[in-house]
Amino acid sequence: MPEFVERGTLRTMIQACYLAIFAMSWDVLSGRTGYISFGHPFLIGIGAYSTAILSKKFGVPPEYSIPLAIVITMFGGLVVLLPALRIKGSYFALVTLAFMELMYQLVQVIRPDLTGGTRGITGIKSLTRGAEAGYELAVTLMLGVALGLWLLMRTRFGTALWAIGMDEDSVRGSGLSTTRLKTMAFLVSALVAGLGGAYYAHYTGSLAPRALFDIDFLFTIIVAALIGGAGTIIGPMFGAFFLIFLLEWLRPILPGAERYFVYGGVALILYMYQPKGLVAIAQSLRDRVRGDNYDHRA
Amino acid sequence: MLVLEIENLSAFYGKAQALREVSLTVNEGECIAIVGANGAGKSTLLDSIMGLVKTRGTVRLHGEDITGLRCAQIVKRGVGYAPERFNLFPHMTVRDNLLVGAFTARNEIAKNLDAVHRLFPRLAERENQETSTQSGGERQMVSLGRALMSSPNVLLVDEPTIGLAPKVCGELAKVLQRLSKEMGLTVIVTEQNANFAISLAERLYVLEGGRITAQGTAADLSKDDILAKSYFGA
Repeated sequence: MPEFVERGTLRTMIQACYLAIFAMSWDVLSGRTGYISFGHPFLIGIGAYSTAILSKKFGVPPEYSIPLAIVITMFGGLVVLLPALRIKGSYFALVTLAFMELMYQLVQVIRPDLTGGTRGITGIKSLTRGAEAGYELAVTLMLGVALGLWLLMRTRFGTALWAIGMDEDSVRGSGLSTTRLKTMAFLVSALVAGLGGAYYAHYTGSLAPRALFDIDFLFTIIVAALIGGAGTIIGPMFGAFFLIFLLEWLRPILPGAERYFVYGGVALILYMYQPKGLVAIAQSLRDRVRGDNYDHRA
Repeated sequence: MLVLEIENLSAFYGKAQALREVSLTVNEGECIAIVGANGAGKSTLLDSIMGLVKTRGTVRLHGEDITGLRCAQIVKRGVGYAPERFNLFPHMTVRDNLLVGAFTARNEIAKNLDAVHRLFPRLAERENQETSTQSGGERQMVSLGRALMSSPNVLLVDEPTIGLAPKVCGELAKVLQRLSKEMGLTVIVTEQNANFAISLAERLYVLEGGRITAQGTAADLSKDDILAKSYFGA
């Protein structure tokens, strides 16, 4: 693929790969269990800042700083966000949103010598040289995450998470500890977010707190998962590529912030037309082409 | 031999008291019914046994005090629960719904699945069907089947006849009797439909306003004119 596309397109695809990783990570917790997290950039931020600080300020090589960043994300997220899993519905969403904002403030106030304060961190060591290598790394990561999650979701754990999203009380009534299941889902979600965040930091080479802990970034992740098809693995990937390329396609037509208005409109229409996302649209098109009238529910 | 003993059990939803000092006993292999109108506290009683509601009082299972245990721990001790209105996972297949019930009996999945399929052959035929597309009777089968997947020795069934046709109710009564008489399960059923309860239970408790107001066999209870008029259509 890298040989056949322009470098700019390649960079857009790298962005889409990372967004897909973030969207899959969000989907493990929120798409499956129905606990809508607005604090996902908080987890991505821990991963990104941890590896950036470790590698830039303490000289830890990326092969160690990235795994450490993932562990820190899982641990940090667990300590801070886990109590929120006992809260349901919109309260959970609001609490997690508050954590994202809190992280933004903390990064600026606590040890700005390490975090770079409002200016962020620049000069983070790159793992690859050139767009081609960056693309290969991003695609490998995305497909690795997708495969890992796909295998995990085929287990009884995946089935139980899906069941929680439909009726948590009933899952509890079947003798399962939903708190334990949600904690595991959260840890998996944090692992993927930390991994994505850490690699993303090394890809971009810089971190800016306002870009990372930003409501636009958060909604892009959520919208990618929702319009792609929440509760699936391929859906968030579909959604991420669709959104990133839509925005890039709109850039020359609407260079300003207006393109976000169009993008929001497109996402809304798509979601209203098919709440199960692009994956469901693709499946129904495939069935139509095959002349398959079989009712999947029957 | 006593399997379940409930002593002075009260249940609360915040400040509201839904059960008032309920006491009852159930013997091994027995099938009993709790009869009462809407809001009498039937579902709360079963939820209380399962540890899903804040309670005061004592619940003993095989002599062990299980009061205050979490639902997962109670299911592991052999209590299966088929809640009111099925509480299924609508977008999952019949098979996946059943498998959610099998988490606490992972080593017996094949055996339990086979037993459920023998009890409800229709579930075997439609194991890949989403439960949202099933009839009320089929959903009730899935609900009971899911409870049975945990290898219970005590089965709690909450208002199984709601919204079901009389013929289906009859089939359901036979299945519950089979579970009790042939498979040795202790079965506790709550019901508004007193005639259904009589058709399957050996003993009945009448629950009114969160209290047990009468108990005995159907013959005993039907001698009480007020009860007979209220619940048995006499």
